[in-house]
Amino acid sequence: MIQNPIGAPASGAALTIDGLTVDFAGFRAVDTVSTVVEAGELRVLLGANGAGKTTLMDLISGKTLPTAGRVFLGEREITGLEEHRISQAGLGRKFQIPSVFRDLTVRRNLEVAACRNPGVFANLRLGFSPAQTRRVEDILDQVGLVTRQEDDAGSLSHGETQWLELGMLMAQDPKVILLDEPTAGMTEAETMKTAAIIKAMRGRHTLVVVEHDMAFVKEIANRITVMHLGRVLAEGSVADIEANAEVRAAYLGAKGIR
Amino acid sequence: MLDTIFIGLSLGSVLLLVALGLAITYGAMGVINMAHGEMVMLGAYTAVMTSLYLGLGLIAAMPVAFLVTALMGLAIERLVVRRLYGRLLDTLLATWGVAILIQQAVRLSFGLAFAGITIAGLGPGLQNVSLPEWLGGVFSVAGSEISVYRSFIILVSLLLAALTWFLMYRTSIGMQLRAIMRNPQMAAACGIDTNRINALAFAYGSGLAGVAGVLMAGFKTVFPDMGTPMVVDGFLVVVMGGVGSLVGSILSAGILGQINGLTAAVSNDIIARAVVFAVVIAVIVWKPKGLFSYKGR
Amino acid sequence: MRLTKSGLNTATYVAFIALILAAPLVFDPFWLNRLSKYLVFGMLGAAIAVSWGYAGILNLGQGLFFGLGAYAIAMSLKLASATSLAQGSDTPIPDFMLWNAEPGAPTELCCITKGSFLWIPFQSPWFGIAMGIVAPVAIAFGLGMVVFRKRISGVFVSIITLSVVLLMRLLLVQAQPLTNGFNGLTDLGYLTVLGLEFDPYMPQTYYLVAISLALVLVGARLLVETRSGLILQAIRDDDRRARFLGFDVPRYQTFFFCASAAISGYAGMLYVMASEFASPTFMDLSFSITMVVWAAVGGRNSILGACIGAILINMIEATVSETPALMEAWRVVIGLAFVFAVLFLPRGLAGLAAGLRDWLVARSEGARPHAAPIPAAEERGRA
Repeated sequence: MIQNPIGAPASGAALTIDGLTVDFAGFRAVDTVSTVVEAGELRVLLGANGAGKTTLMDLISGKTLPTAGRVFLGEREITGLEEHRISQAGLGRKFQIPSVFRDLTVRRNLEVAACRNPGVFANLRLGFSPAQTRRVEDILDQVGLVTRQEDDAGSLSHGETQWLELGMLMAQDPKVILLDEPTAGMTEAETMKTAAIIKAMRGRHTLVVVEHDMAFVKEIANRITVMHLGRVLAEGSVADIEANAEVRAAYLGAKGIR
Repeated sequence: MLDTIFIGLSLGSVLLLVALGLAITYGAMGVINMAHGEMVMLGAYTAVMTSLYLGLGLIAAMPVAFLVTALMGLAIERLVVRRLYGRLLDTLLATWGVAILIQQAVRLSFGLAFAGITIAGLGPGLQNVSLPEWLGGVFSVAGSEISVYRSFIILVSLLLAALTWFLMYRTSIGMQLRAIMRNPQMAAACGIDTNRINALAFAYGSGLAGVAGVLMAGFKTVFPDMGTPMVVDGFLVVVMGGVGSLVGSILSAGILGQINGLTAAVSNDIIARAVVFAVVIAVIVWKPKGLFSYKGR
Repeated sequence: MRLTKSGLNTATYVAFIALILAAPLVFDPFWLNRLSKYLVFGMLGAAIAVSWGYAGILNLGQGLFFGLGAYAIAMSLKLASATSLAQGSDTPIPDFMLWNAEPGAPTELCCITKGSFLWIPFQSPWFGIAMGIVAPVAIAFGLGMVVFRKRISGVFVSIITLSVVLLMRLLLVQAQPLTNGFNGLTDLGYLTVLGLEFDPYMPQTYYLVAISLALVLVGARLLVETRSGLILQAIRDDDRRARFLGFDVPRYQTFFFCASAAISGYAGMLYVMASEFASPTFMDLSFSITMVVWAAVGGRNSILGACIGAILINMIEATVSETPALMEAWRVVIGLAFVFAVLFLPRGLAGLAAGLRDWLVARSEGARPHAAPIPAAEERGRA
């Protein structure tokens, strides 16, 4: 049933998805999806609502268990591991509805994300190393939250919260980052700033981004994977996708390219 | 055997009346009302007082108790609970304070005890209610002696459960309440007066607990602290049945009542309660959402 | 002098510890003994703040851990009492075991009643002391591994802990021949370790309690200030986010749940030394909820606040309980205090204190613009 049999991950692949499937009581939200994301690539996941993009992210990050198929992070298989194990293996994820630690200050949020050692006993120490502190301050600067660092994260605006979550991912410093609609609900100016932050992340991390805003997609994407009804419909460069007749019929045709 | 099952059924019935109110307030409003047990206690005291001062029997006491506790519930909702929607654990703590206040009010004859005045029927001591003669006997079915009163309890509980079902599923208020249980914001956005419905539901649930109190007064001594174990048991029923599921509450009340009755028959009351707790812990750990949970998103 | 938040926090801790250490200068032995019990309750308040305020786990069965600690040491002290030693056998025998024994049963701890052999190791006070910590932590660990691994949270944890404490209480009462049931363990001996005898009315017992409380307060505060403590608070705010950052959430929750249990067990031991009895009422639902009341009034998010809340409430209670009528009125006040604290003072007394602290800090910083992030950074560097 595997569409594109891949088998063992090729070297140079940051994220390998092989025949990933999930069945919710007869409904296949994600159906034998396979793709390879190269190290350093920025992949955009495109598709209408209900195409299975967020569910695919849930499957990769361990929030939902797949019915079939395998996921590799680099050479390592992460299928079916618990969320924190997958995260420790080098995967970070941002949620569509921003999720930060609301009762902690902005700075504390980043400090938590910067705790690289996950163990409870290893973290029984006070304070942070100068390197960690510098890193946190760099990130505060990059996401533009220096002046808000002592405020509770719960008091941030929607856009600021999104940037803080992006900053937390930088602090976590995983190999592969999944971003679910990082510009949802943002103003034009906020979207611009978000694009800048994501571009800055590109060199350091492999990114998989779910996005609807085509202008934004064209701005950032290396390659695009289009999903439709749980399956991969097409994959290629921005130009390939725009020229693809099937994609036009299924997705762009209905909505057009904004 | 049949008599043991009947004891379990009657225990389950009283439990059900207590749990129904909690199931509604917890399921619909996200309120853990620790003063719910005090509604049971107030209901029992209503039976004591109406028989003492008005010469009313147990059956006539039931509507009075319903009214008294429903009004009390309304007051609690208006004064305390209303300010705490969305803060589940805080409602637990604040209503615990309310529970202490109600207990003290009964123990101190509404505070008149400070002035040296005591009201007969109230106060810290034990009270008893005598059953009318026709409820006191036993009848035999298939060789087992079955208490008339226990059968009466089961009958009343079933009637009230049926009434609750009718109100929830066949009236407009019930429909609005069910909408609030599923999604309070959406219900409010659709024009449902959530304040009013919440208050009504709270009052109704408290009223049921009051009736349960009258029924309890028929076979147990009445005293100011009697409500605390009731609220605990009621919560165990609701949580085990699955929050937001009336059917779940009914079934788990039945199950826990039987477990209690059967275990008590072969050992003693202490062991019976211990087994009930053990079963509930096991169920919550096994199925944290309860046996019959509503599957939300 | 410029004031900082952490500076004022430290000053409060220092002042409180100095105050409790200086109390013997003022109080007579009778009141000192009472005070030592309230300090123990203060320790319970701190334990609640750790699990409720910092871990977001509202444990309605904290009395279980307190009770286990209390019974563990009470068993040792019972065996050390004059009556147990004077029962005319090779090993000390608790008097209630003799009363309950079957006629003709051997008067030895090994076999006087079924299970009485469990008492044998408690002849060593060290074993009792060790069990006072080990038993609560073991149970907390077992509970935590099951409950938190299953991702049970919020009110469900409260219901489970509540059920567990009530279950254990019933078992304790049911095992009457072993535990003396409802009557609890009374007529205890004094703890004697390293040549020191802890008579509850002597200052050394008070100092033991006061120094213990000081250490627990500082220790608990340092614990929640560590990175693990910070991660714990993050988990409290959003456990899913924490999981996706790679933290093994149940392990953190279990660790701090155990820490809270250990403090409670230790408090239970100290309480027995000060009050000379252990009773199943320690595992009553109302006692466990009362502890939460103390913490809520004092400030659930503040270790010192919850501790002071517990001490204050109990001191007032002791003062008014001299007259029975006032005692009943006091319960009304407690009920009202609880309702009002939850409604109008969700952060408790500590919230008021924090407001005062921030005002003082702002005043000492004078007209300097609020936006300057530098002082905050400095403060963190020092902490």
